[in-house]
Amino acid sequence: MQNQDGLLADAEVEGISSTQASNVDDWENFRDDAIMQQQSSIWAEEAEKIPFVGDKAREPLSSLAAEYQSGSPILLEKIKLLTEEFAAIRRTRGDGNCFFRSFMFSYLERILESQDQEEVHRITGNVENCRRTLQSLGYADFTFEDFFALFLEQLESVLQGNKESISHDELIQRSRDQSVSDYSEWHITHVSTYVTWMRKEDVKHMKFLCAAFLSASPYNVSCLVVMFFRFVTSGEIRKRSEFFEPFILGLTNATVEQFCKSSVEPMGEESDHVHITALSDALGVPIRVVYLDRSSCDAGGVSVNHHDFIPNPPSGGDLPLAAATATAAGGSGGSETIKPFITLLYRPGHYDILYPK
Amino acid sequence: MQASRARLFKEYKEVQREKTADPDIQLVCDDSNIFKWNALVKGPSETPYEGGIFQLAFSVPEQYPLQPPQVRFLTKIFHPNVHFKTGEICLDILKNAWSPAWTLQSVCRAIIALMAHPEPDSPLNCDSGNLLRSGDIRGFQSMARMYTKLAAMPKKS
Repeated sequence: MQNQDGLLADAEVEGISSTQASNVDDWENFRDDAIMQQQSSIWAEEAEKIPFVGDKAREPLSSLAAEYQSGSPILLEKIKLLTEEFAAIRRTRGDGNCFFRSFMFSYLERILESQDQEEVHRITGNVENCRRTLQSLGYADFTFEDFFALFLEQLESVLQGNKESISHDELIQRSRDQSVSDYSEWHITHVSTYVTWMRKEDVKHMKFLCAAFLSASPYNVSCLVVMFFRFVTSGEIRKRSEFFEPFILGLTNATVEQFCKSSVEPMGEESDHVHITALSDALGVPIRVVYLDRSSCDAGGVSVNHHDFIPNPPSGGDLPLAAATATAAGGSGGSETIKPFITLLYRPGHYDILYPK
Repeated sequence: MQASRARLFKEYKEVQREKTADPDIQLVCDDSNIFKWNALVKGPSETPYEGGIFQLAFSVPEQYPLQPPQVRFLTKIFHPNVHFKTGEICLDILKNAWSPAWTLQSVCRAIIALMAHPEPDSPLNCDSGNLLRSGDIRGFQSMARMYTKLAAMPKKS
């Protein structure tokens, strides 16, 4: 849970600053770079605990129940219900990027498994539209083009994934090249362990995906792709600012532009329904979010709520301004025809990936 | 490393191309090191910094543009959000609100905006912040003006 991570992180901040305090005689020595350095050392420590995307593929849902053993009976009841519908959960790191990261992994994994050329073709078209959106909003090409290129590269490589098997060495090499971090040594150890695990699982085409996304370094492909989604989301919100304005006003006091600058574009800023709606619309990818919280509805017993973010039109592409996108599917009909293939589990403050049975 | 270099090179070309676009900012890359930049910015009008030319030093990390550049004032400035001795700047986009959508050029613009709109509630220069917070606008302006004259304007010979 993110809450626990937060506490851990806080504890570490205290630990580190108290050890450093003896070296720091006066306040003036606390420079920005020192703070940044401390931050990245905390990241590195956190990274050893939880990878960006969980390395236990498809952890059974029972692990979730274990987490709430002595918790609210409503939650336990809901987890029981979830177990009927879902087989497994894949956890993501609670670093504020969990929604984007879950979406990224879930989507690429889906393409990897389905080898759906048509879907790749479709989303590539939408990515082109997003590029034009950013250009028309006045973003300089060089600020976002690398992130766009990288996402398209990832799409390519998951499509080729089952034709070309990557050797162990090449895998490590790739992951090293793809990382822009100082932690390469630790990184190699991590990837090696991971490869051992994968052989056991014998999921050969998962190799590439996992190598690219599980690594612990703070600046690897996974972060760059998260940044791509942040650009896409920001562009969509600003393009349809009249549509999004009321929702944003409900969240903060900021203008649409301020919201994008402060809560969408910076890494580590958590996502809300505004982000999800915008990303789903921009890429034309439906997303289901299943809510695990303590809310209970009527006396009729506990049920697990979910919410489907259905892009309108469902094929994606340019959207009419008035397009209402968020449609509750649970029994309300209408949107039943579209079943999102991305399902995320939301616990207040955090998103993980769910795998249906 | 490669990514940051490529990105900085693009910014360099953009700066060369748009040299005259923003007359208040003159951004120059170090001759031998693309990770070191210098900027001269004009003090915004109708502020105590008007008429001054302020020098900024940029140090760009290898993780740029995922991490923000480090920027500080080389020219002495009396401003609530600038450290009086080190020139360090307290600005959200240089810390947690950074995103790769910012460029060195737009960072300069943000710094000019900060000069015009100080945030006395998060001061790096407490003396300056306290003047503003206690409502002594005149005191703040005359101090800031004095340092602009002393440090940011050409000396009369």
